[in-house]
Amino acid sequence: MEKEMSSKESLTLITEMINRAKRETAGDGGFQMRLWGWVIAICNFGHFTLYKLGYEHPHYVWILVAPAAVVSFWKGFQIAKKARVKSHVSQVINQLWIMVFAGIMITLAFMPVIGYNQNPIILILAGIGMWTTGSLIRVNLVRGGGVLLLLAAVIAFMLPVSAQYLLSGVAMVLGYLLPGYYLNKSYRERI
Amino acid sequence: MSAFKPLDPLLHSQLRLAVMSLLISVEEAEFTFLKEKTESTAGNLSVQLDKLEKAGYIEIEKSFRGKRPLTTCKITQVGLKAFEAYVENLRNYIE
Repeated sequence: MEKEMSSKESLTLITEMINRAKRETAGDGGFQMRLWGWVIAICNFGHFTLYKLGYEHPHYVWILVAPAAVVSFWKGFQIAKKARVKSHVSQVINQLWIMVFAGIMITLAFMPVIGYNQNPIILILAGIGMWTTGSLIRVNLVRGGGVLLLLAAVIAFMLPVSAQYLLSGVAMVLGYLLPGYYLNKSYRERI
Repeated sequence: MSAFKPLDPLLHSQLRLAVMSLLISVEEAEFTFLKEKTESTAGNLSVQLDKLEKAGYIEIEKSFRGKRPLTTCKITQVGLKAFEAYVENLRNYIE
């Protein structure tokens, strides 16, 4: 039943199996990145547009975040439940984004204290998340998204609060949505 | 200069080595995952997993997902060291 292997055959088998395991733990195909990228970009552009149109409560658009959070947690739970393997990398990534999310919530809770400059801070937090995720999954475009979000944060600090929404929207599309779609494409190619 | 050491017979078997290589890349894996990736039969895989568990190379946990039985495997520190030593020995043979 058991085949005798040469040293080279053993090494080939090890490499092949490691690659098969890697394909299985390829993540969610950037689902969370695409979901949050769209939601936050729409909220930012919506807030900016409503403000420019003179609407009294442009922040109402941010209500969209609530159903998005429900979908995000539900989908994350489903993926974790169905997963036949647990990898260290995916667990670290989950923990990282939970902390980024907590950081964003704290920032939003203290918006009046920071003079409503929450957008650049959120960009920094998301940038740290993207850079670290990109490093863990070894995808440079995701790391690049992190750099772009941090650069956008620097620019945002120099702009008036209303213009920060427009900039944040653009930064989310380029630094978050774009890597999300790239992951989705490469995920489909790998699986 | 490194001396040639005999290859661990427990790891120098196609299916057991395949299982250990899969487990080294993940935190834990289900039986169905190992069966699919190694393209083995359930019977043969069970026998080989049992041998690895008896040697202390892996931990096997049996539970339920809903009504279905679920077997989860995880590499141990002993297994990790044995795998590393096996790869190091293989390298000596090839070089």
